[in-house]
Amino acid sequence: MSGLSIGNVKKSFGAVDVIHGVDVEIADGEFAILVGPSGCGKSTLLRMIAGLEDITGGQIRINGRVVNDLQPKDRDIAMVFQNYALYSQMTASQNMGFALELAGAKRPEIDKKVGEAAAILGLQPLLDRKPAQLSGGQRQRVAMGRAIVRDPKVFLFDEPLSNLDAKLRVKMRAEIKALHQRLKTTIVYVTHDQIEAMTMADKIVVLHGGRVEQIGSPLELYDKPRNIFVAGFLGSPAMNFLEGTIEDAANPVLAMTSGSRVKLSRAPANSVNRPLTLGIRPEDIAFGGESGVDAVVKVIEPTGSETHVAVEIDGKELTWVVRERVELAPEQRVKLSFETSKVHFFDQQTQQRLDA
Amino acid sequence: MSLRQSTHDPRVQALVLLVPALAIYAVFALYPMINVVILSFQKWNGLDPNRQFVGVANYTAIFTRDPVFWVAFRNTVIWTVMSLIFPPVVGLLLALSLNQKIFGRNGLRAIFYLPVIIAPIAVATMWKWMYDPFFGLFSQLLTSWGMQGWIKDWLGSKDIALYSVFVAYLWQTVGFSMVLFLAGLQNVPQTLVEAARIDGAGRWAVFKHVTLPALRPTITIVLVLSIISSLKAFDIVYGLTGGGPAQSTQMLALWAFTQAMQIFDFGRGAAISVVLLLITMAVVVPYLRWTQRHEEVEA
Repeated sequence: MSGLSIGNVKKSFGAVDVIHGVDVEIADGEFAILVGPSGCGKSTLLRMIAGLEDITGGQIRINGRVVNDLQPKDRDIAMVFQNYALYSQMTASQNMGFALELAGAKRPEIDKKVGEAAAILGLQPLLDRKPAQLSGGQRQRVAMGRAIVRDPKVFLFDEPLSNLDAKLRVKMRAEIKALHQRLKTTIVYVTHDQIEAMTMADKIVVLHGGRVEQIGSPLELYDKPRNIFVAGFLGSPAMNFLEGTIEDAANPVLAMTSGSRVKLSRAPANSVNRPLTLGIRPEDIAFGGESGVDAVVKVIEPTGSETHVAVEIDGKELTWVVRERVELAPEQRVKLSFETSKVHFFDQQTQQRLDA
Repeated sequence: MSLRQSTHDPRVQALVLLVPALAIYAVFALYPMINVVILSFQKWNGLDPNRQFVGVANYTAIFTRDPVFWVAFRNTVIWTVMSLIFPPVVGLLLALSLNQKIFGRNGLRAIFYLPVIIAPIAVATMWKWMYDPFFGLFSQLLTSWGMQGWIKDWLGSKDIALYSVFVAYLWQTVGFSMVLFLAGLQNVPQTLVEAARIDGAGRWAVFKHVTLPALRPTITIVLVLSIISSLKAFDIVYGLTGGGPAQSTQMLALWAFTQAMQIFDFGRGAAISVVLLLITMAVVVPYLRWTQRHEEVEA
């Protein structure tokens, strides 16, 4: 099969295991994002794909070929680094053509490929500049050009936008996605930023503590997180969690540990009297009528398009996102209701999702 | 401005903090330097309360009537050229090997640096023993390898004495270049090495395109310090050969010393020192200018 296949891959640094048997299949042409908090092993995994770290166990195949023991240059990959990693003494075009030059390509061929990549990235006016004369975004584009010139089977991106300012990051995000739509080459992209993952990926791989927590499309993961970690990691502002037990299977109510009771329209099977964590996204909270839960407004953060409100229910803080303009004041008492069809249930002990 | 206010002025504070260093520099470096320049236009035997102004007589004397000056000049040039090549190259090679993850590298680094902290005169004494044509280490080793034909009077033959002294000098000074290069190697960006590996660069290409460019500031420092220390080379020559045999290891610094301290012609000694200073500046200043301009273009 083509694409990239990671089979039961393990990595240890001495006695410390950092990746514990990861399995990921990435189809040809797919944009896959490895995401997770720092220390989750995402960069190590990417570096193992690149051949910059040894693979302790398992197999990595690129285009069906096992690459475990191949040199980075023989793996048919190209990598874009967070700090660009450009050769400071070379011009942009020399940077981009360097791999071809090392491979012994002829000058006209190098010039042609560099020219093509430069055209794709809008780098033509900058080709004779050295990295020091380029802005951060331009450097990152040269680094991408260097990758494109090699025409690899897989592009590897290691947090490529982390060194850019917020505005440029949003712009480059769209550029990379457009680039992928144009080149249709497989991309493996590492980031700790879940918004990058959500906005760019065809497939998100959520890693945590060297294990895969969940693999799926952005909306799959958003709508059906497999466990509390994924539920809390994806989405901004993050999902709210309430702890309690379900009373009365026929007419389910979540009795919160703190005392409040939330009426639900459904509940997982066999969940009565079982300690549960209920997850609710900030946008699935609304003004409730008389039957709503009592809450106290704490902090109001208008962003323009929406308003983030920190509310307290029985001493527990929740984030509530209101799309319409609202008049609220700190310490104001409100009644809130949850969009019960969009409530997520998790087992408190196993942290796993319970379907209702 | 009251005293209290003025002590809060950062310019005053800076001045106060600089004064001790400046005073030491002025008394022990600047004043002797100026004095040497003045002395080079005078005649003085080192004891006489009066110094006599003689114009450029000392310079014309060393340039036209002192054959040893030109021998020393030639030897100093050879010495400097060798110093520009061998300590930096050997130091870089040592640094590159001791930058690998090899067993006992910290111990090896210390061992290679050790000669730097030994007094040159002690180094000279050690090497004098080792160079002894009958009982010295080298002759013994060559004998035990059955290569008696290679044994030379290392310090006594005027064709090789200069190079023998240089080997001892290299042994003593190379650790310094090595340490500077080792420090420089820590600044080679690892991601750049990785990017180069992905680009298909082998060891040599990584060295040429990543390591060397990153080492450029270090190379500048090592070369400049090598030139300066080679032109100053004195104690090791003094200790090993004293300039002989037949002036074959005579150098400008040593000849200046000999003129002043042994022949008691301080004027001539000073004139030779000034020539040495001018040579040093003529080599170092353009090089520093050139590298600075180069770095500005890069940055």
